Amino acid sequence: MEERTTKTGMDTMESPPAKPPFIELKGICKAFGHVQALQGVDFEVCPGEVIGLVGDNGAGKSTLIKIISGAYRPDAGVIHVDGHPTTFHSPHDAMVAGIATVYQNLALVDQRDVAANIFLGRELVRGVLLDRRRMLAESAHVLEELRSDIPSVETQVGLLSGGQRQAVAIARAVHQGAARLVIMDEPVAALGIEESRKVLRLIKRLKDQGRAVIVISHNLEHVFSVADRIVVLRRGRLVGVRRKAGTDAADVVRLIVGAEHL
Amino acid sequence: MNDDQQKTASQANVDAVLEDLEGEIESGAACGPAEPRRRAPGILRLRELNVLAAAALLFVALAWLARPLFASPENLLLVARQISILAIIATGMTFLFIAREIDLSVGSTYGFLAVTLAFLITKWFFNPWLAVLITVLLGMVIGLVNGLVITQFGIPSFIVTLGMLSILRGAALLLTGGWPILVKLPPGNSFMEITAGRAWGVIPMQVFWMIGIMLIAGFVLSKTRFGSHVYATGGNEESAILTGIATKRVKIVSFMITSALCGVAAALLVGQVHSASPLTGTGFELDIIAAVVIGGTPIFGGAGSILGTLLGAAILGMITNGLVLLGVSAFFEPVAKGLIIILAILVDTLIRRRPA
Repeated sequence: MEERTTKTGMDTMESPPAKPPFIELKGICKAFGHVQALQGVDFEVCPGEVIGLVGDNGAGKSTLIKIISGAYRPDAGVIHVDGHPTTFHSPHDAMVAGIATVYQNLALVDQRDVAANIFLGRELVRGVLLDRRRMLAESAHVLEELRSDIPSVETQVGLLSGGQRQAVAIARAVHQGAARLVIMDEPVAALGIEESRKVLRLIKRLKDQGRAVIVISHNLEHVFSVADRIVVLRRGRLVGVRRKAGTDAADVVRLIVGAEHL
Repeated sequence: MNDDQQKTASQANVDAVLEDLEGEIESGAACGPAEPRRRAPGILRLRELNVLAAAALLFVALAWLARPLFASPENLLLVARQISILAIIATGMTFLFIAREIDLSVGSTYGFLAVTLAFLITKWFFNPWLAVLITVLLGMVIGLVNGLVITQFGIPSFIVTLGMLSILRGAALLLTGGWPILVKLPPGNSFMEITAGRAWGVIPMQVFWMIGIMLIAGFVLSKTRFGSHVYATGGNEESAILTGIATKRVKIVSFMITSALCGVAAALLVGQVHSASPLTGTGFELDIIAAVVIGGTPIFGGAGSILGTLLGAAILGMITNGLVLLGVSAFFEPVAKGLIIILAILVDTLIRRRPA
């Protein structure tokens, strides 16, 4: 029954968002061999909005964000950025469009230091020379903003704790000045309570800066504490979009597992 | 009323964030009142120190055992000249190792380019410098082919360059019919002078070539964006790709640098010995890999330095030279080199295993 109502769209958003969406996905499909990872997914993200993206393992969350961040190209469907149809050929394209991603594996290079990782792929240069001084200074500043406890921006990332590594990855995403959408894949999965709280505070801060955030998490408590809207995927389909005010954990869980299983 | 309160609250929040942002921009532009917290880091530097200590130890030991010949200026300049070709090619190999690639064809590339250069000068009567230019460009093409096949088809570099090793050795033999090519140039020719002469009648020109090339390469690796990308590519290729680094291009360029340096090395050789044998550089890839590995560049990529490679080449050169001076059988030399390589890897592994 639940399935049917979602399909008609009756159960999705009650009111259209106030601001025009930053990014809009329509009919996104992606298959890996015989596995249909995503089937006709549409949703949009507005500036200053935090989306909680939830779903069981294998529901297609990671595939979806990899499409938004340019790592994968959809088999079908279109992406609109600021209302214009856009194709991301690479993560770089997405980055240029203002989409920054904190990957679950953090995408850090362990042998390099904190500053090099924060500026990975977009190193600051003066002429042909790396502007190491400025990268060190800016890295230190960003990490201070996050109130991270990283001893030095010249520490090798491989020597840091899980939480510190997360902070470096987030700092990198945040520091992309033009980032209008920050995507976080399980940002707090590996963190302790206090560090999780710091990350959640950071997400709210990004929102206040007018940036959109997509957070993937298995922890519904975290999702409810930061998200404005909750998007639920199940087996590659979008099965529900809920405003936080209009739903509760039980409702979301029902969408995640599918009503027929309860 | 409630709405208003919320609005002001969020407004205050936004203001605070904006202030933070302004601070960020200011400190970024002015290079910061907030000086970054520094702490002497670095397994990387530690690793170089190890190699430096090993080289110094070896030097002192040989200077004592083979006194007074070993530490004489003439002998040390000889060692420097002997390692220069090795060090120049190993410089390229360092790029590849850091990017987590390998080129087994360097010995053959070097030999093939040496006979090509000799061929161009003697059979086609090219101006030596033009011939060198063509040789280096040809080297780049070889590197490009290696790099393209490896990155575009996803075949391990080990396999592709093993194939190239065989192809180029065969090509060198075919080109020459198996005979060495003699290169006769009038005495005092600028090519001979600049590749193999002695500056102020003392310092072999090869040493200047080696130092110049290694300085530039070290600069590129540590001070440029490309250098950073080489480290990132080898350190964690997936991460590098996710942050938008064109890792395939980085690898291809590294292969091209390596093969081009084989061309430079070939020019130095032809300038020095006035001939080129099609067997030039047979087995040389092992010495080159040894220099890089002894120099502390791990085979797992992501770390290493040109300075380390210079020290690695120096260690190899001192062993070869020292054994001769000590009157040890030449047959023992490969044994000594092999032991040093294993020892270097062993030390590296032990350091790696030690908790940070």
